[in-house]
Amino acid sequence: MFIPAVLIYVALLVVPVIYAFYYSFTEYNGFPTRVPEFVGLDNYRTIFGSTDMTDTMVITAVVAVVGAVLVNLAALGLALLLQRTNRFNTFGRVVMFYPHVLSALVVGFLWQAVLGPQGVVNTMLEKVGTDSLPFLSDPDWALWSMILVIVWSLFGVQLILYLAGLQAVPADLLEAARIDGAGRWRTFRAVTWPSLASTVTVAVITSGISLLKTYDVVVSLTGGGPAGSTKTLAYSILAVSFPQRNIGVASAQAVVLILAAAVLAITVLVLRKRAEDDAESIG
Amino acid sequence: MTMTSISRARRTYGAAMACVVPLLLVAACSSGTGSSVGEDGEIRMMVNLTDNLDQAYWESLVKPFEDKTGLKVKIEGPTGKSVAESFPQQLAAGTAPDVIQSIFPDDDTAPELLDLGNEAWAKNTPMFDEYALGDKHYAVGVGTQTQSLIYYNKSAFKKAGISKPPTTWDELAGYLPDLKKAGVTPMQTAGDYQTGLQLQQIYHPTLNQLHPKWQTAVSEEKLTVGEAYKPAFEMYSDWIDAGYIAKSDAGLNPSQADGNFIAGKVGLYTNGSWFAATLNKATDLPFEVGVISPPTADGKAYPGPQGATMANPYMIRKGIGDEDGAKQLVEYLVTDAKAIEAQLGSDGVFRKDSGLKQTDIDAQIQSVLDAAPELVAVGEGQGNVRLPVTGFNPKFTEVAQSLYTGASPADAAKAIDQWVEENR
Repeated sequence: MFIPAVLIYVALLVVPVIYAFYYSFTEYNGFPTRVPEFVGLDNYRTIFGSTDMTDTMVITAVVAVVGAVLVNLAALGLALLLQRTNRFNTFGRVVMFYPHVLSALVVGFLWQAVLGPQGVVNTMLEKVGTDSLPFLSDPDWALWSMILVIVWSLFGVQLILYLAGLQAVPADLLEAARIDGAGRWRTFRAVTWPSLASTVTVAVITSGISLLKTYDVVVSLTGGGPAGSTKTLAYSILAVSFPQRNIGVASAQAVVLILAAAVLAITVLVLRKRAEDDAESIG
Repeated sequence: MTMTSISRARRTYGAAMACVVPLLLVAACSSGTGSSVGEDGEIRMMVNLTDNLDQAYWESLVKPFEDKTGLKVKIEGPTGKSVAESFPQQLAAGTAPDVIQSIFPDDDTAPELLDLGNEAWAKNTPMFDEYALGDKHYAVGVGTQTQSLIYYNKSAFKKAGISKPPTTWDELAGYLPDLKKAGVTPMQTAGDYQTGLQLQQIYHPTLNQLHPKWQTAVSEEKLTVGEAYKPAFEMYSDWIDAGYIAKSDAGLNPSQADGNFIAGKVGLYTNGSWFAATLNKATDLPFEVGVISPPTADGKAYPGPQGATMANPYMIRKGIGDEDGAKQLVEYLVTDAKAIEAQLGSDGVFRKDSGLKQTDIDAQIQSVLDAAPELVAVGEGQGNVRLPVTGFNPKFTEVAQSLYTGASPADAAKAIDQWVEENR
């Protein structure tokens, strides 16, 4: 069973990545009649030399970092509120997970209808005689609106992870803390948070990687606008470079994205390891 | 050899096989020729599927051809977002169709397509020469999609005391405050792809009067896109500052902009001939619709050149099983009187001097088309009149939207020039 599993893994995951690396050093339009032409680091020079593309990298980094922090804060906060099993909390968990069930494209269209210049919110604001808000028509507002919409659609999975993590917090430690007179915050800091370390690591890495790949919501909510203010790297790969048949540049952008995901994952793991080492040295 | 070294050798061999076998499998599974054959010799045609042009429409369009020739035509929609996106993907995957509708050849796709330049039936089709690449003709069409049109609300004009539609920029600028006073949005624009498209559409006639074949001039580095469009950026910027164009339009869905015009809330609305299909469907409009060609440059003749694209273009892929059958199909689609009539009535498609019975709005568009002194390439260009870059329209939209978010016309001109230079 081992060899077939490895073969499938390599064919479906490793080979495409190898191809992406290979194409990133070529000029190629993707057609079988054309042979990829080796161009060395030209595609990487293009993406790092173009203001347009470096802007998309900055936007992607902002979305990934800010989004990951907000997703995890929201998910952890709600998990703490909903951790006890009762009817209300069960219903609450279902409601909180519901946005994740929706396709990201649908999420974008839905929030477009809510936040657009003629959307539900602005129509109501106009009805009460207030100025409308530029949720999707001002560059800063649009970026924040997009991040919040993505957070809304993503945090369901992280919530489930944190709920599972909270179930694994040793009950005897919690009870001991209570007996020792520790308050809620102290118990959380001294018992719950350290016990959740591995869950937090997984939740931050998975949410960060999901956010690095942000594409569908951009397509349906902002179309990358206004004025390119919400154009992420994944959007630039799929909606700009590939349709222009710029396979070499698209592959180089994809490689940058893969490396960014790797850096994110390694950084989180190193930080966790360092925190654990510090804790052990104190203990 | 020790057990350890045997075990290590096996592991190394296993790892090598794990890397090599999938690569071989991937290589073996890819066709490499880009060819594919339809079932039982049927001709596969990929078409643009829309609300107006659905599967049933296309099947009924080719039915007389199938009955007459005995050939089968399989209608296929795009596998991705559009034909433009799906055709290259299918070419790469070796599953491309035989006949492709709705897109045009470019330097990448041209080597994969059949040259129809020697087909006698192709020579009199609309815009045949405008779409030549070098001396080759890969696309033949049915008519023209007229790109530079201003739809206006005649009732709002009357209420604002405006007696005739504008033919100069000064006249148009003078009408905007009157329309605002009359309680309508003077000029409706929209976000998404439409911001850049509308700015280009309204300025085509002027741009082509001031810089004929401007795309070629940019290619030859005699003109920059920023220089060409700066006057249009300045006009737009002034109108945005004065509130004649809403800043929030940069985030407005294009279908909502259509809806605003249809609801009678708008004075002027720049759009292409395809918008006529939407207007024709909307029964009981609360106002009378007028359609004009945009104003022209000072001292120049009105109307100016009309931005136009070949409508319902068809291309045939090279190296397919039944080349003759595919040619017969395309010949039928672009020359058969009934097939042309069906396509002209379908989705804002017009043909110069067409005698077809039309709605009032269609008739006005037909008049604009018939009166146009010249049909000119739009956006990135077409055939031999092209910019030296691809992906111009999305970038132009970004730049146009920056006017709504505070950029100056000079900044916008600089941004588009910088992008052209980076991508030339």
